[in-house]
Amino acid sequence: MSAEADGSRIPVEREAGHLTLSRQERRQLRRQLGWVEQTLAGVTEAIERAVFTEEHARSPGWLQGLDPRIKLGMFIVTVLAASLSHSLLALLLLYGLLLLVARASLLPFDFFVRRVWLGIPFFAGVVILPSIFFTSGGPRLFEWDLGPLHLGPTPASLLGAAVFVMRVGDAVSLAVLLILTTRWADLLKSLQVLRVPQIFILLLSMTYRYIFLFLHTVNGFFEARKSRTVGFTSGGEQRTWIVTALVTLMNRSFQMSNEVYAAMCARGFTGTIRTYSDYRLQSGDVLALLGALLLSVGLFFLGRVLL
Amino acid sequence: MHIPDGYLSPVFSLGSGVVTIPAWAVATHKVRDVLNRRTVPLMAIFSALSFTIMMFNVPVPGGTTAHGVGGTLIAIVLGPWAAALCVSVALIIQALFFGDGGILAIFINCLNMGIILPFVGYYTYRLIAGRSPVLSTRRIWAAAIGSYVGITAAALAVGIELGLQPVLFQQNGHPLYSPYPLGVAIPAMLLSHAFGASLVEALITALGFAYIQKHHPTLLAALREVVSGGDVPTGEAQALPLWRIFALAIPLALVLLFIAGLITGGGRLDHLFGADWSQVSWPDVGIMLLIVLGIAVVLLPLTWFVLPARLKRVGTFFMALAIFAPLGLIAPGFAFGEGSPEDVQKAFGYIPQGLRDLNGLWNAPLGGYTIHADFFTDPNAPLWHAALGYEISGIIGILLLVLLVWGLMLLVRRLTGRGGAPTEVDARQAQPREEAL
Repeated sequence: MSAEADGSRIPVEREAGHLTLSRQERRQLRRQLGWVEQTLAGVTEAIERAVFTEEHARSPGWLQGLDPRIKLGMFIVTVLAASLSHSLLALLLLYGLLLLVARASLLPFDFFVRRVWLGIPFFAGVVILPSIFFTSGGPRLFEWDLGPLHLGPTPASLLGAAVFVMRVGDAVSLAVLLILTTRWADLLKSLQVLRVPQIFILLLSMTYRYIFLFLHTVNGFFEARKSRTVGFTSGGEQRTWIVTALVTLMNRSFQMSNEVYAAMCARGFTGTIRTYSDYRLQSGDVLALLGALLLSVGLFFLGRVLL
Repeated sequence: MHIPDGYLSPVFSLGSGVVTIPAWAVATHKVRDVLNRRTVPLMAIFSALSFTIMMFNVPVPGGTTAHGVGGTLIAIVLGPWAAALCVSVALIIQALFFGDGGILAIFINCLNMGIILPFVGYYTYRLIAGRSPVLSTRRIWAAAIGSYVGITAAALAVGIELGLQPVLFQQNGHPLYSPYPLGVAIPAMLLSHAFGASLVEALITALGFAYIQKHHPTLLAALREVVSGGDVPTGEAQALPLWRIFALAIPLALVLLFIAGLITGGGRLDHLFGADWSQVSWPDVGIMLLIVLGIAVVLLPLTWFVLPARLKRVGTFFMALAIFAPLGLIAPGFAFGEGSPEDVQKAFGYIPQGLRDLNGLWNAPLGGYTIHADFFTDPNAPLWHAALGYEISGIIGILLLVLLVWGLMLLVRRLTGRGGAPTEVDARQAQPREEAL
């Protein structure tokens, strides 16, 4: 795109009260604001997700009521079992169980299914697709001859692909379950069980706070940019602007870190970190963990026996 | 580049913690030694910054967008150890909170993007920047190249990790995890990054670095000193003139080419790139060069004026490519990757099976990149005849490609019914986010 094409024309003409644009002008307009809108949409989505998660983490479901440390332990053993399982049936069984758990935890059903499957497993399906057809060995179900190439799925390659996609789907479902039913602060505190150093946990929790501040700032940058853009700018100018925004954010973060440090000192921060936790295990928690352990062991052995 | 759970064997993804956890420990110590109590707020805020940078959509030429990681930029400002911590924390939050990248895969993702990326990027930057003053142009180039190399190295690491899965983990000959072997996974990751995300990253880093130099030079000197404890030479703004850059870059490129030629030619000077240069008749080559130059002088300005403004640069570039393509005919052996099976057989003594299969697939009307007429293909005709045929077929090929793409776009637009209400500005462009890989 050359600069003279962009700056010269004013694209908008009024006709019968509403804007009409030629196709080329519409395309240019999209190019003008598309990236701004994408970033805005991304920022909004991130904030939305956070609010949504907090909302669900507070609802009185089954998983929400469990101790976060127990939940983390259950998650880890189950995801390990799912990752080590090579059986489609076992993985399907696990997924059915996860749907039940999502139901018991009052998660909206369609949301749970959609958020999991429209994302990463779908992508995994696309990635795996060529490997189904370009396979060697074994009788094929049907065969396409493209010149000298022979393409076609074998039962083994189909099964392998299904296991792969299903495993990714199970892992993502488990992660979504954990994330949606646990408040961030609880999740972080439960990391202490895994002997994650305190400084890391403090770092994570502070970062999480500032992310929203920054998302808010960036939202402001982009809203301002969008509302003040009139006419056309070249791609180079757009990139210059975005880099300016980036470095301004970096400079602000440095200043802010000084201020935050001063504020922490003023409140008596001496470099040592203390957290308090008043978690008490209840019998239901222990039972749930035992159940998850049994399930994992069961899945592991079922995976060896079944298809 | 975020690897989700299920792509890698858990043995592999958890096992990479053997590298990642000690690296984190060392990084925490290094940063804390210098910073003591200031570590936490500074790291937390820069981690949030790293997270936010990954949300920035950067408009790239051609109308789509991509997003960068910013790891090298943070490494340049804070030092690599601090950058490793910042990017890792951002990645952990992405995995634990947004489901970007798997949770078991946290170690491996942090290894790729949190450790390999900033370290490779930073040390490449240091290598190129040398002892030059902080405000010199050389450092901008160093930042760009460093970030390019850094993110490409991270992509290479991902390719190797994915490619190792079918080698290490299989059952009865069937892969259990990511099924593509090294020969597929590495080129796929490398190529898609080297010509896409890496360029964006280099662009952001270079522009960002230049902006910091101009407006916030303290970030480069004072902050680096505070965080990493190293001394940084400061200096005046000093522009490296363009001719010096080219004077450096062109001989460097030639030397690299020469070395590559020597290696592929088995170390013999007259067999550079595996071709027998003594067979070349240089007067023929001279005539051909003259004719090619003549064509270029006529056609290139013509293309520039004929094409619509949007296509001027791209179109002229491709035209130039088509015009200068026959220079490859000088080489008496075969051009890289272009040879027919016979050429390959002469060179290697056998034909790879896949090549023989694929070659019959497409019996082009312009086969062998030339036009089938005696004028062009006569073995006794001077070299420039062949060159002309090569050239014409190249130009026709490009025109066909343009027509094809144009037609496809028209079809897609018809099918999706775009081009209606003005509110379509709101429709987000389909953008392949590289969330999964």
